[in-house]
Amino acid sequence: MAKIRLATDVGGTFTDLVFYELDSKTGAAGPIQTEKAHTTPPDFDTGVLDVIEKAQIDLSSASFFAHGTTVVINALTERKGVKTGLITTAGFRDVLEIARGNRPDFFNLRYQKPTPFVPRYLRREVKGRLTYKGEVIEPLDTSELPQIIADFKADGVEAIAVCLLHSYANPDHEDQVIAEIAKLWPEVATIASNAITREWREYERSNTAVLSAYVSPIARAYLSKLESAVSDKGMDGAFYVMQSNGGIDTLGAAKNVPITMVESGPASGVLGAAALGKLIGENNIIALDIGGTTAKCSLIENGRVDVTSQYMIEKSRLSAGYPIMTPVVDLVEIGNGGGSIAWVDEHEKMHVGPQSAGALPGPVAYGAGGTEPTTTDANLYLARINPDYFVNGEIEADMPALAGSLERLGAKLGLTAVEAARGIVRIANHNMQNALKLVSINRGHDPRDFTMIAFGGGGAMHATALAQELSIPKVVIPASSAVFSAWGMLMSDLRRDYIRTQPMPIASGSAASISATFAEMEAEALASFADEDIPTDAIMFEHYLDMRYDGQEHSVRMPLNNGKISSTDIDDLVARFHDAYEREYTYRLDAGTNMVALSIVAFAKIDRPQLAKIAEDGDASKAIKSRRNVDYDLAGIHMSDIYDRELLGSGAEFSGPAIIEEAGTTTVIFPNQRVRVDEFGNLHITTKTSGDKA
Amino acid sequence: MNAQSELKHDPITLEIIQSSLTAITDEMFATMRKTAMSSIIYEVLDFGVALFDRDGNLASSGSGIPAFVGMLEPGVKMIIGKFGPNDIHAGDVFMTNMPHFGGVSHLNDVVLIVPVVVDGNVIAWLANKAHWADVGGSFPGSISADALDIYQEGLQIPEVRIIDKGNINQALLDVILQNSRVPETTRGDFWAGVSSTRAGESRVKALSEKYGADTLVYAMADYIALGEAQARTALKELPHGIFEANEMQDDGQVLKIAITISDDDFLIDLRGNPKQNNNALNSSYDATYSDAQMIFAGVAMAQGIVNAGTFRPLTLLTDKGSLFDAEYPAAMSVYYEVSMVVFDLMWKALAPAMPERLPAGHYGSICGTFIGGPHPENGSVQSIVEPQLGGWGACSDRDGVSALYTGFHGDTFNCPAEITEQRNGLMVDKLALTTEQGGEGEFIGGKGLNLDYRVIEDNWWMSMAYSRSEIGPWGLDGGQEGTLNYVIVRKANGEETRYSSVTALELNKGDVISVYTATGGGYGDPADRPKDQVLEDIRNGYVTAKRAQKVYGVSA
Repeated sequence: MAKIRLATDVGGTFTDLVFYELDSKTGAAGPIQTEKAHTTPPDFDTGVLDVIEKAQIDLSSASFFAHGTTVVINALTERKGVKTGLITTAGFRDVLEIARGNRPDFFNLRYQKPTPFVPRYLRREVKGRLTYKGEVIEPLDTSELPQIIADFKADGVEAIAVCLLHSYANPDHEDQVIAEIAKLWPEVATIASNAITREWREYERSNTAVLSAYVSPIARAYLSKLESAVSDKGMDGAFYVMQSNGGIDTLGAAKNVPITMVESGPASGVLGAAALGKLIGENNIIALDIGGTTAKCSLIENGRVDVTSQYMIEKSRLSAGYPIMTPVVDLVEIGNGGGSIAWVDEHEKMHVGPQSAGALPGPVAYGAGGTEPTTTDANLYLARINPDYFVNGEIEADMPALAGSLERLGAKLGLTAVEAARGIVRIANHNMQNALKLVSINRGHDPRDFTMIAFGGGGAMHATALAQELSIPKVVIPASSAVFSAWGMLMSDLRRDYIRTQPMPIASGSAASISATFAEMEAEALASFADEDIPTDAIMFEHYLDMRYDGQEHSVRMPLNNGKISSTDIDDLVARFHDAYEREYTYRLDAGTNMVALSIVAFAKIDRPQLAKIAEDGDASKAIKSRRNVDYDLAGIHMSDIYDRELLGSGAEFSGPAIIEEAGTTTVIFPNQRVRVDEFGNLHITTKTSGDKA
Repeated sequence: MNAQSELKHDPITLEIIQSSLTAITDEMFATMRKTAMSSIIYEVLDFGVALFDRDGNLASSGSGIPAFVGMLEPGVKMIIGKFGPNDIHAGDVFMTNMPHFGGVSHLNDVVLIVPVVVDGNVIAWLANKAHWADVGGSFPGSISADALDIYQEGLQIPEVRIIDKGNINQALLDVILQNSRVPETTRGDFWAGVSSTRAGESRVKALSEKYGADTLVYAMADYIALGEAQARTALKELPHGIFEANEMQDDGQVLKIAITISDDDFLIDLRGNPKQNNNALNSSYDATYSDAQMIFAGVAMAQGIVNAGTFRPLTLLTDKGSLFDAEYPAAMSVYYEVSMVVFDLMWKALAPAMPERLPAGHYGSICGTFIGGPHPENGSVQSIVEPQLGGWGACSDRDGVSALYTGFHGDTFNCPAEITEQRNGLMVDKLALTTEQGGEGEFIGGKGLNLDYRVIEDNWWMSMAYSRSEIGPWGLDGGQEGTLNYVIVRKANGEETRYSSVTALELNKGDVISVYTATGGGYGDPADRPKDQVLEDIRNGYVTAKRAQKVYGVSA
């Protein structure tokens, strides 16, 4: 039987499936196939099995199955976790409630601080104290633990987080507390902060441990249920879970620390962009994912996905949110997607989003009761989306309702319906441009050095205009752009991130200490893989140092060639730091440098075949299915060729103005842009000039 | 191109430019935060950045602190007045720090001001104001309630040009650095400020290039007009009338205020208040005006845009030479406590009439705590500037927030104990909510803080000056008064002393600085707090069983 490799991605509305078969004789990959089914909350595993069944996949032939789930983030945002207790260092039980004391909505004198996930009576203390170097200045005293555990039991606690001061420097006390709890109450779910992160800042680490404990039982139950369901269907291939760091990991590892799955959806898209970049020879990428309610973007430099541990949930201009110190692909997300609603405020200013029409009522043109135009509506009105093939022909676009809604909106500003539609697209693009600037220009990167890879339902619709605005020379629309997140998982390797706070000056004498810590961290990583019988000879490491000037707080993450630093490497490292710092911040200081943290990324390579190529056909004209007038806002209205993407062969080339239609998305080609189709069916769009200013 | 000129002032282009203005100040803010050398900038966020129209009117600001939003405009106008129109050039950077003349707050807050010049014309201004850790003077950290005049408070920088057409005035910079106890930190913070304004400058230039300088200038004017229109709309929705308050202060002085709100005016009358002090507890008119801006924005515009237009309905009346309008050479390094007091007074006057907008009194003091000495690890000189968290008053419909920065601060972060211990070489023995009792009501005041620092090396010092050390935050509608702000120093020999203000107190190994901040005022009669809720408070340790019995009549 032919082997199958598959990935499923559980989204808010749909559960996506991407798979391909391997030729049973040659092992060569067959064409990429996709399927969608409805997401089935709260039993998300049902939707996963549904989509597999719909695609008629026999799981007993699956050799590789990667799964992305929103179960963790859902449990957090819907407050569906378990009752959690916290054990911390004497004198610090209120850290979780004190948090950092900030008031982001600062004029508002009725600001409401986010409520801690553990109430005060379930926050308990143990004596014992470490220094920031990890030295014990007061031994751990666990004599009060039996009483604490008895109280927790009586109060119905189901999970316990342990976070002690300076455990990033020395995890012994935390581990002892965990071991002691295991003796007293083996059934309860526990987690020590050092099992998630070895970074300093006690509030952030406490909150991380608490949120992790809070979701653990639920996430573990979900993964176990899915595991037994797929194994009931005969699957004995490798089963992996998508992580927030842009890699996949084993089921065992995911169950151990489920919080690492918190942002797995967005991460897999960025990972897909990095994987696609590798395939087509693009190393510097801006990944743009436009969905129904949000747009997300992330920057990939030299093929490396940027990962941060400064991740927050529910943070906004109005709320301080909650930090989670787990490695998450660094991305900027804004409330602007295809379903974002356009509105005019009382002072006659037009805005787009963050309110979204969602799936119901959806855009006005759905005719399902929506009355306020969305970005999708505007694209439809400008004929960028085909009015005669709306939502793959499943919905007859309600154009009169749409025109009416645009007229009403425009009237508030003295604009016609078409001007209002152009305005919506321009403002939506502007919002997304700001997000793109945040990951590029604002971090010292020149967009001209990058290629944009755009995906999600709305990525292809807006990417070409955004690239022109930001002088990004090339846009790539992937072959499976509407299910790109799941595609990304298929391309993924195992990835584990380790970070360790170890503040010290950078000087020739520090080389040995840095090398020793890296060696220790590598050994920890190798041991974790070995524990799961993952061959350790294929494991690759990346090494980074977070460096800063003396006295500064914010650091620059410096990549190293390996983890063995000699004293002669130090000068070179410092010189590179000065350059990197100046690039990001415009100046350099004649000051000492030090490091805050070391991090390593461990990759376990997963063998996969070369992807199948599409048929060669340089004649693009065969794919033209019609012509129509399309409104390119400031670039004018042009009669445009409409291409059927399915019919475009490898090597096809043509110029804008044009529209490329496919199931799930539409690509807009501006008059000064040129398209080339590569051997895997990806569209490469380049701009002929640096962009039409008006 | 035709399309462009036709669309020159189309509403969509204006909207795009205006939202870019916010993006520019956000970027300037982020740059400053990332590059600054002192924790008071990058953690406490004691800085602000802003973008102005060509006449120096605030168009957009990026700030971690509401108090700083309006604090940069006077400096820009002073520079325009002194150097304009013929002596301002591309590449210039100006600076000032004199509170009485455009510097607004105190000498530590140094303002950097940069013109955006396109084709020889100034089309906009950018400014950055940040708290420098030390600008010299008699007292470490340049802040002490005991300063008698501004000369004791450090180096005065009148409106000067520090960078001339791109060339640094090295002599001037050397003088400035020489006058600081922490020259390297100061140098870093100076260049961080320059970097942040340069980032803004290049973005404004790019906007001008793209849309044309005329359109950009028009968009800024239109944006400021929008600020005014929003403010006037909001003003109409506020309760109208005359709202008065007075309150005795810790020092026995009685302060008074009258606020008159009508359809067109938000008039704050602070006339008839005491004369300026012979110490550093004074506020300039501009600083008092920024308090007026904060309270106005707080009740009327909490989430709206805030720029020069917003404050056009606002009028502030003071007596020259008074506490709230102190004249040169009054010392002002502790202006922020005066500002807190007057802000609180404005709040107190309005709160009874605006229960849906204002809670009961909060801890009402910056609780600025200045601690320094040699790092036990390497002897390097440490200088900590830490405002403290405290309790907020209860609202008419919910309990107050515990351990939050004052209304004067904003997206300001406290310093983690783990970082304080490593960086500054102190031990933090405790970081907890206070167990002092007070602030009860139907809705309870948020808890203040109890933070213990232990000095572990000899030759350390501490300065501090807290308000509300004798009289706690006010309750509303029957709610009880909150608790007090103070420090207890527990010497290694067992001696204990309570302080509400002290300058350069000597501390040695083993001494503990125990900071207590106030719990906020309660709202409503404690008898109306449901019994279940009181039991929950007891279980959480927010109230003792004894106190619950006494105040609520509830037994656990």
